[in-house]
Amino acid sequence: MSVTVGVLALQGAFSEHLQLFKVAANQVESHHEGSAKKYWTFIEVRTQKELSSCDALVIPGGESTAISLVAQRCNMLEPLRDFVKVLRKPTWGTCAGLILLAESANRTKQGGQELIGGLDVRVNRNHFGRQIESFQADLDLPFLNEVTPDLVPFKAIFIRAPIVEKLLPTVDGEQQGEASITGTVIAPSLQIDKSVAKAVHLHDVEVMGILPGRTKKVKNDLGSELDDEAGDIVAVRQANVFGTSFHPELTNDPRLHIWWLQQVDAAVDSR
Amino acid sequence: MSTALPNTNGSAQNGTQESNFTMKSGLARMLKGGVIMDVVNAEQARIAEEAGAVAVMALERVPADIRAEGGVSRMSDPKMIREIMKTVTIPVMAKARIGHFVECQILEAIGVDYIDESEVLTPADHAHHVEKHNFSVPFVCGCRNLGEALRRISEGAAMIRTKGEAGTGDVVEAVRHMRTVTAEIKRTGGMTDMELRVLAKDIQAPFELLKETARLGRLPVVNFAAGGVATPADAALMMQLGCDGVFVGSGIFKSGDAAKRAKAIVQAVAHYDDAKVLAEVSEDLGEAMVGLNVSMMDSKDKMQGRGW
Repeated sequence: MSVTVGVLALQGAFSEHLQLFKVAANQVESHHEGSAKKYWTFIEVRTQKELSSCDALVIPGGESTAISLVAQRCNMLEPLRDFVKVLRKPTWGTCAGLILLAESANRTKQGGQELIGGLDVRVNRNHFGRQIESFQADLDLPFLNEVTPDLVPFKAIFIRAPIVEKLLPTVDGEQQGEASITGTVIAPSLQIDKSVAKAVHLHDVEVMGILPGRTKKVKNDLGSELDDEAGDIVAVRQANVFGTSFHPELTNDPRLHIWWLQQVDAAVDSR
Repeated sequence: MSTALPNTNGSAQNGTQESNFTMKSGLARMLKGGVIMDVVNAEQARIAEEAGAVAVMALERVPADIRAEGGVSRMSDPKMIREIMKTVTIPVMAKARIGHFVECQILEAIGVDYIDESEVLTPADHAHHVEKHNFSVPFVCGCRNLGEALRRISEGAAMIRTKGEAGTGDVVEAVRHMRTVTAEIKRTGGMTDMELRVLAKDIQAPFELLKETARLGRLPVVNFAAGGVATPADAALMMQLGCDGVFVGSGIFKSGDAAKRAKAIVQAVAHYDDAKVLAEVSEDLGEAMVGLNVSMMDSKDKMQGRGW
């Protein structure tokens, strides 16, 4: 069967994702057995029509304010929210994409910015500071075991990167608690489509990747084992919405792209 | 553009420099498909940010005014740059004079996100450009042709822009420079190493970078258009000619309705291939910047010849 993966191409590093997906797609096929063979198509998404042809979507790195304003002005914001929150199709955001997929964000521009939402987290924009604070770090991502057993650390590139500074409780409706904090913006709430709800289990946010020891700013109200020493959360997943604060699309390492396509593969099969 | 872009810039000696260049060129990639706008104060920076600019270029006078007023044009007052950095959350760039490495040190100390070693300011060195590798802040530089682009990259530039002819509102020179670079890269396509060595000598470019360019079929770093873009159609023209994004200098804040024109140019760059969108956003923008016809200008009045 054919599966179409879109990369939002309103601004940012979308061609980098497309190129890495083309490499990754070959390796997904060789790793996956027992489900229908997938024929992957990768497209740039700029319009509602292109979005509606997609089974899964990537929101790339770029400037989140610019992507959000451009999306708003070409009437893409609501269709994107539908895609992520009502239809709950698999979506992955990197850096700016993570910001847009968060239910809550701070340190946004004056007057705030529009978010798509989908992940019950609060992100802190430009967490590490300006460009001269950008860095590269080796990251242990245990779930990449599913792709290759040799656990070589992932070279994660952080450019004016955000982090997840707080995991939020899953609530019915908007994150009202977050809305009351000065300087924090939230995404509007949307109900999941009933016919989709059976296939997609909405649970709490899972922490998928942590950058150890750079700062001690993580707050966690959910009582999990994270503490102040834990480091910064740089990869999260909630149901089939995935976010990373770093840029795998700037590397030649396709493991994250392969892993995510395997998640898409499974999601498509379960519908 | 290829994810397999070189991380070393042809002259990295060690791992640190390699990873530095990944960060430097990486930020430029995040700006692709976007518009970078010249602003002279915090208020204009806010207008640019609200319009959807991916970054702002902080400078004291836009090129059109530099042209009109004359005199020596230098790096902006750090206080003004800081104010702009405090006001907006998008990256802030600033210009330094060609060869003036101390202005660059100052801009790095302030913490700007990108330095433009720019021909729009009065050059400070008759022969040397700034050695850009040693800075941790990334640099963008202008070019008129492939040789000039590769010389700048070899010095450490992590991003290139066409020079165009700044402050004129006439896009002809930006088009000329982009077409020149594209044509020169196309010619390298079928060349053997032996032929590339001769070409490298002719255009005064490092062989390794030229070979990389031939392999990629494009410049090995992000390449924006600049110098004379005044309308959404100009911006889309440069995108269709293969630029990765657009700088707009005097074109926005020297026009009748800056906020509206800025928004229109941002939409035009995002949807550069969709003539219907371009028609919509081009409507009713008010007065464009007055403009100077480059073909009527004296060569001594042109800024593009600065830089070596």
